[in-house]
Amino acid sequence: MTLPALLVLIAGLGLIGWLVARAKAQRLNTGRNALHSLPGHHGWYLALWIMLPALAGVLLWGAISPGLIHTAVLADPAAASLPAFDLERDAILSEAYTLAEDPGASAFNPGAEQLVPAVIAAKSKFGAMGTALVLLLAFAGGGFGYTRLSASFQARTKVERVVLVLLLAASLLAVLTTVGIIASLLFESGIFFSKVSPIEFIFGTHWSPANGSFGAVPLFWGTIFIGAIIAMVVAIPLGLMSAIYLTQYAHPNVRKWMKPMLEILAGIPTVVYGYFAALTVAPMVRDFAVMMGFDNPSTESALAAGLVMGIMIIPFVSSMADDSIAAVPQAMRDGSLAMGATRSETIKKVLIPAALPGIVAGVMLAISRAIGETMIVVMAAGATANLSANPFASMTTVTFQIVQLLTGDQEFDSAKTLSAFALGLVLFGVTLILNIIALRVVKRFREAYE
Amino acid sequence: MSNPANNWQSPEAEKRLAKRYAAERRFKLLGLSAVGLSMAFLVFLIGTMLSGGLGGIDWAFLTGSDSTEPDTAGVWGAVKGSLLTMIVTIVLALPMGVLAAVYLEEFAPRNRWIDMVEVSINNLAAVPSIIFGLLGLAVFINFLGMPRSSPLVGGMTLALMTMPVIVIAGRNAIKAVPPSIRDAALAVGASRVQTVFHHVLPLALPGILTGAIIGMARALGETAPLLMIGMRAFVSTPPSGITDPATVLPMQIFLWSDEVDRAFVQNTSAAILVLLAFLLTMNGFAIYLRNKFETRW
Repeated sequence: MTLPALLVLIAGLGLIGWLVARAKAQRLNTGRNALHSLPGHHGWYLALWIMLPALAGVLLWGAISPGLIHTAVLADPAAASLPAFDLERDAILSEAYTLAEDPGASAFNPGAEQLVPAVIAAKSKFGAMGTALVLLLAFAGGGFGYTRLSASFQARTKVERVVLVLLLAASLLAVLTTVGIIASLLFESGIFFSKVSPIEFIFGTHWSPANGSFGAVPLFWGTIFIGAIIAMVVAIPLGLMSAIYLTQYAHPNVRKWMKPMLEILAGIPTVVYGYFAALTVAPMVRDFAVMMGFDNPSTESALAAGLVMGIMIIPFVSSMADDSIAAVPQAMRDGSLAMGATRSETIKKVLIPAALPGIVAGVMLAISRAIGETMIVVMAAGATANLSANPFASMTTVTFQIVQLLTGDQEFDSAKTLSAFALGLVLFGVTLILNIIALRVVKRFREAYE
Repeated sequence: MSNPANNWQSPEAEKRLAKRYAAERRFKLLGLSAVGLSMAFLVFLIGTMLSGGLGGIDWAFLTGSDSTEPDTAGVWGAVKGSLLTMIVTIVLALPMGVLAAVYLEEFAPRNRWIDMVEVSINNLAAVPSIIFGLLGLAVFINFLGMPRSSPLVGGMTLALMTMPVIVIAGRNAIKAVPPSIRDAALAVGASRVQTVFHHVLPLALPGILTGAIIGMARALGETAPLLMIGMRAFVSTPPSGITDPATVLPMQIFLWSDEVDRAFVQNTSAAILVLLAFLLTMNGFAIYLRNKFETRW
């Protein structure tokens, strides 16, 4: 029986159990307060007793049956002619499995076709055994659950305990994701650093994975130059001034329209920004560079990518600044205005200093977002690792190189592809530190004014 | 000058005051121009896309699939890939996100473990998307051996990325439900689980859905993680299931923007317009939901 069919069968049995148990509970319900739990809870109790053991059986059988099928196929007389050499034998076996799934598939090895009947026989035999096991578990669980049902039985308590475990499992998924990210990055970079020394990776100034030199300093510089310098030079003044204007000066009706408009900027996909940067902004920057007297500037420039990235970050900086300014107590603003300060003096001398921790934390989050940004730099920044402070030069970043190294044809254990995970580890580490510090500052800042 | 009131009318004081007012006006103008500049950029961007792509949108473009010929290439294959991917994402991320939000907001004890869960969720919401792509590549494709460039793996990767967004939105929505609702349910004998699932969650649902739609809109526009798991293949037939090789709309834009043939420029802009239309609809729907069902307690 196929897996989806089996799951549907289990769900169907669960439904029957639910109906049966509810009917029994209704029969037991002889009068007022005769039942401890609602009939529905009895239904869920029995349904869980049917489905959970059966699902556990599916998982268990899914884990052990491939090994059993493998042994059975090898024991078949048709397998006697197989070469004893493991690698070759496994190749033929895997072809036989593919053929058994899909008779139309082409096989390179003639030995594979002879094995197909054995594979099909073993599969159907163990498949039937698995189905039988699952059904047995379902009925055993259901039978046990059914005997427990009685008028005084606390079905609600039992069912809710399972619900709580489910809720806990869902929230642990987030931790599992974090652990998964860290483990996979550490694992792959571990293999990389056994081939290339970490010292060379972190301090080397020459990046050319094709020739086996992995000095990542030019990438770090490109990332910082585009994401933390050029983009921030654009985003901080524009974002901060927009926030100030919208919160302090703009008429509420204007603000009601302007703020969502500004947020559209944050909702535009990065690939659209990337396309815009490459198609429209980069040629403008190039023309500007020619006007400034640079000869033969490249079409891909750090400036074009950084500028567009800065625009993308504006709403982010603006909303963080907005929140921090709004958190400053009204009394401080009123005090300043009452002393005769103008509004701009109040903003510059009272509001911004008071909101500074929040604004700085917002900028840190913005930097962490900018250095992790991928599509804009992939489409507009260029591929050559370049250690220069010239904004018109083509420059590459950590994210660009990750994409470059992991797309296209590749074998998975070469130092070249593994270096992408080492770069990912650095990126993850840096953004993690920025985020944790920023979130902590924001929290401390909120508490200070509450 | 013995009368202090005269100090306010002296020429020096008037001059100082005029200077301060001028500074005030300059500052206000600076703020207005910052907003104006951002808006101008938005208008410029959308205007460029409209002028470049509007001519390329016709029925054949909306129903065709990718092709090497710019004239016959269309977006339907990519749109279908996006739809399948989004279905996988929402099926996984919405229940998991809501359940996690319920647990953290209503049942979690205050201890170090739960703090770790919270830090990890807040941090995941800010991790660069390309890192999720690396996770998908290392775990789903290399470790679990799932089919490369399929909507299944793409949807799972994006679900991991979207779940923290839904958890954060869900927690805020649940927090906004007043305690009196819970007290009333508990007072008539409901258990805590019944209170949450029968009373708190339905009231928090509009807020949760708004957050979920915004998270989905973000996932729909995402390209970088899908690049990592190989969804950049040339796919000339729309995928028929979630395990078929597929491409998504943002990826199609990226692939076309890479084409040497200048005729693809119009296709790229047109595909961008289609994507923006989808995103605008989703965000508009989220705002509508919020306005229609928002309750002030």
